[in-house]
Amino acid sequence: MKRYEVIVIGAGPAGLSAAAEAAKKGMKVAVFDENAGPGGQLFKQIHKFFGSRANNARMRGFKIGRKLLKEAEENGVEVFLNAVVTGIFEEKEVMVRIDDTVHHYKADYIVIATGAAENMVPFKGWDKPGVMGAGASQALMHLQGVRPGRKVLVVGSGNVGLIVAFQICQVGCDLVAVLDAAPRVGGYGVHASKITRTGVPFLTSHTIIEAKGDDHVESAVIAEVDDHFTPIPGTEKEIEVDTVLLAVGLTPMNQLASNAGCRVEYQEQNGRLSPVTIVDEYGETTMSGIYCCGDSAKETAEGASSAMLQGKIAAEHIAADAGYTTEADAEEKAEEYRKTLDQLSGGMFDVKNKGRMDISTTEEGYPISQSLLRHGYITAEELKGFPAASYEADGPHPVIECTQNIPCNPCRDVCPAGLIHVAEDITRIPEIDYSQKCTNCGMCVTNCPGQAIFIVDNDYEPGYATVSLPYEFLPYPEKGDKGKALDRSGTPVCDAEIVSVRTARAMDNTAFLTMKVPAEFADTARFFRKG
Amino acid sequence: MSKIIRKAPTEPFKPQPDDDLIICRCEEITKGEIRRAVHDGLRTVNEIKRWTRAGMGLCQGQTCQRNVQNIIARELGISVADVGMITGRAPVRPVVMEVYANDVVDKEEQR
Amino acid sequence: MIEKSTASVIIIGGGIMACATAYNLAKRGVNDIIVLEKKEIGNGGSCRNAGGVRQSARDVRELPLAMYAVKNIWPYLGEELEADVEYRQDGNLRLGKTEEHLDILEKHTAKSTSAGLDVKMITGDEAREICPYMSKEVIGASWCPTDGHANPLHTTLAFYRKALSMGVTFISGVTVYGIKKVKGRARIVETDDGDYEGEKILLCAGYESRKIADTVGIDIPVEKELSEVMVTEMEPQMFSVMLGTAESDFYGHQTKHGSFVLGGMSGGELYRTKSERFATYPLTASCLCRGVIKYFPVLKDAKIVRTWAGWYDVTVDKVPVIDNIPEVPGLTIAFGFCGHGFGISPAVGIAVSELMLDGNSHTIDISNLNYDRFKAKA
Repeated sequence: MKRYEVIVIGAGPAGLSAAAEAAKKGMKVAVFDENAGPGGQLFKQIHKFFGSRANNARMRGFKIGRKLLKEAEENGVEVFLNAVVTGIFEEKEVMVRIDDTVHHYKADYIVIATGAAENMVPFKGWDKPGVMGAGASQALMHLQGVRPGRKVLVVGSGNVGLIVAFQICQVGCDLVAVLDAAPRVGGYGVHASKITRTGVPFLTSHTIIEAKGDDHVESAVIAEVDDHFTPIPGTEKEIEVDTVLLAVGLTPMNQLASNAGCRVEYQEQNGRLSPVTIVDEYGETTMSGIYCCGDSAKETAEGASSAMLQGKIAAEHIAADAGYTTEADAEEKAEEYRKTLDQLSGGMFDVKNKGRMDISTTEEGYPISQSLLRHGYITAEELKGFPAASYEADGPHPVIECTQNIPCNPCRDVCPAGLIHVAEDITRIPEIDYSQKCTNCGMCVTNCPGQAIFIVDNDYEPGYATVSLPYEFLPYPEKGDKGKALDRSGTPVCDAEIVSVRTARAMDNTAFLTMKVPAEFADTARFFRKG
Repeated sequence: MSKIIRKAPTEPFKPQPDDDLIICRCEEITKGEIRRAVHDGLRTVNEIKRWTRAGMGLCQGQTCQRNVQNIIARELGISVADVGMITGRAPVRPVVMEVYANDVVDKEEQR
Repeated sequence: MIEKSTASVIIIGGGIMACATAYNLAKRGVNDIIVLEKKEIGNGGSCRNAGGVRQSARDVRELPLAMYAVKNIWPYLGEELEADVEYRQDGNLRLGKTEEHLDILEKHTAKSTSAGLDVKMITGDEAREICPYMSKEVIGASWCPTDGHANPLHTTLAFYRKALSMGVTFISGVTVYGIKKVKGRARIVETDDGDYEGEKILLCAGYESRKIADTVGIDIPVEKELSEVMVTEMEPQMFSVMLGTAESDFYGHQTKHGSFVLGGMSGGELYRTKSERFATYPLTASCLCRGVIKYFPVLKDAKIVRTWAGWYDVTVDKVPVIDNIPEVPGLTIAFGFCGHGFGISPAVGIAVSELMLDGNSHTIDISNLNYDRFKAKA
């Protein structure tokens, strides 16, 4: 029987990282993935990633996927696509369906990296065409090139919901609202803000109670909920939508782990119980030689980035066990990866803090914007407390509206002037080095994964200021285009004129848009709408 | 599984307004059918599956399992950790019989 | 928490034999019963079989149970238990493709007819008239029109549900270590949850029974044997007969739901019993699919949605042991059903309840299933 030293199941971030790392050590590795394209969820991610350089921050997800695949293949990993692993049997026998044949392979080590599946929440009509997972809509948009619908409602404001909601706007669908049953936006405030300022409302403490329509969704009935998530009678509203996207959490795809005999059990995670594949610090399951990493093991913060590190740690352990590296070297490497993992898992959005309603200040002691949590945008008043957001200087200067502890520091890395500073603990809020001067290069604006940085020039013309913002909607406006400036809540506040549109390779398809607004709106105008 | 003492239901089954909600899409099993089964003494996700077919369809419970677990746990006032899990079974994705019948053992290359 | 741990009857094992017996005991007014189950109700062979309700090709020693069940219980069981047990009495075809196969079938048929069962040999064409989707390769079959099939999951849980409603207590998640005698009688059941005490004890824990019986010095030669079943997605209703083959390359039927439930072995399973879990053998499903497609080419496009394994509790002479143990008064045993217990389970429930309450099984003759048959000739 054909044998690989390592069989990796799933060509996503965890699987490809594990495969590449093991192959680099000299191991014979095969990766099987049931999809036609590699990269797992990464290939559906068109947004720029958070984190630090060590985990590809500010790179778009699908590019990370391509990079990983290249790395794996260059190191001799055999990647089989459209190869469905249908079972893991005793003695690490793996059954794989490829086309119209079922193959039996043996492995010395197996890495299960099958990712997670989207949760579905049952409500009346949830089984109608038009209701789908948010991740499924990403596959439609970014893999098939199909819009999931015309008028879309997103249910769930965790990072998945927020990322997908923004993409729904990007592909030209009409995003009607983002709902969350919780009284606050679940994901990063910056993700929410970039949606809100385009004019889409966030409806927290709201739930969907019915999807109506004959043979597909034609409208949705939503209602406000009380503290126990029970709909409040009389608050029902029917809104016209043809698509409802559910982003209500993920469940690890643990069938293969369970099939292989690995222990899977419910564990308390972020205040609720989730199924978790039990692994040790290297990712080895209760079945010797079978590893599980990434989302298929359990939910983590910054899922894909964590998954890559977990994959690498598993590979180090496997290589050491198989004699391709020393245990000391493997442990040293693993420790390094764990440090990066710790960086990613800090902050108020760490899995351990999820669902917590009692975090009222940042680690620095700044009060967290209640408006941001409740409505998806921060008020001008609340922003005043944040030094980097209320930074004033002559000429163009950055205004950094990053007000929550998120593991991320590209703004520091890309600023050629050394004006922006983020502490060693990358969840800290950026600070300004007042001794330096902004060069108006636009790198911070276009590389901030949260699109939370603006460059403001209060002295553009007498009576006029400019606000430069990141812009990711096609077609880009052109110099001279006139329209309205929208404030953080998405409300048009004044006339605006585009004075410059800059793009650059280093900006990676985020345009650096500069609009001229009356000087008194320099602190409020944050988005441009043509016409 | 932890210890469960099972006795006859003492109260009659109480219908709920959303009992007709489909929970298992593959097999079209409703919330009411699951609640009824729990009321009648079935206590674990596997027992519910065997009795109602919830989780027995094409997706093998990938979509509905958590919702079924939540219903059982809520009905009994216990934790979802105590209602068990569906065991992953080969093939974890459906395989057509003709393909299944066509299994090959690839030869190891000489090294 | 202090709970009741004494009862008139303690039943070890929570499978269909336990549920059927508990139900029959309760029907006779004895409902002070505690059933102890290690995992979940019907987790062993009860829910891991293909649902055959078959008399043909059965050992004559257990044929009375099968014939009684088919004649007197199965047709009315759903009504009695207030559940759909999906019983269909549409006959059993045992198929042959070669002369050797026909030989095997003829021998079984001769034995069964001499025991009074309506079973006969038919030609391939006659078989195809009963079941039109069968391939031309079938040259003959044995045919027992009174055989059939039912849903083992529903039947097991229906017995459980009914027994529960009649006052029987079931406790799952309790592992039984052994039985302890008090003043010469079986009395205490030792578990990981402390001692349970009963005036009478029934041991019907499938392949787990042997080591428990050993604790009171009773050794029944029974071993576990892995068997597998695969299930298809829902298919249009095609036929309702129960199927088997002379070669035993598969058996099964189409369920009321529409899925086909098809079981069998590939040959390697016997050597795969080291694992404590119900792990399937990697070659079996492929092997079964090849077998099924040879007989039923029409099924080649049906999707297999799952396979599962279970252990038979197989005795050395391939029939169960159902008996009171005079050496250990108060102990009754019923196990070793060898993979064909489901069809007779409703009758076993009656026989065992009579053994326990009346000292002997007077409705159905189970005298050939005695526990002390495994010994040197006197």
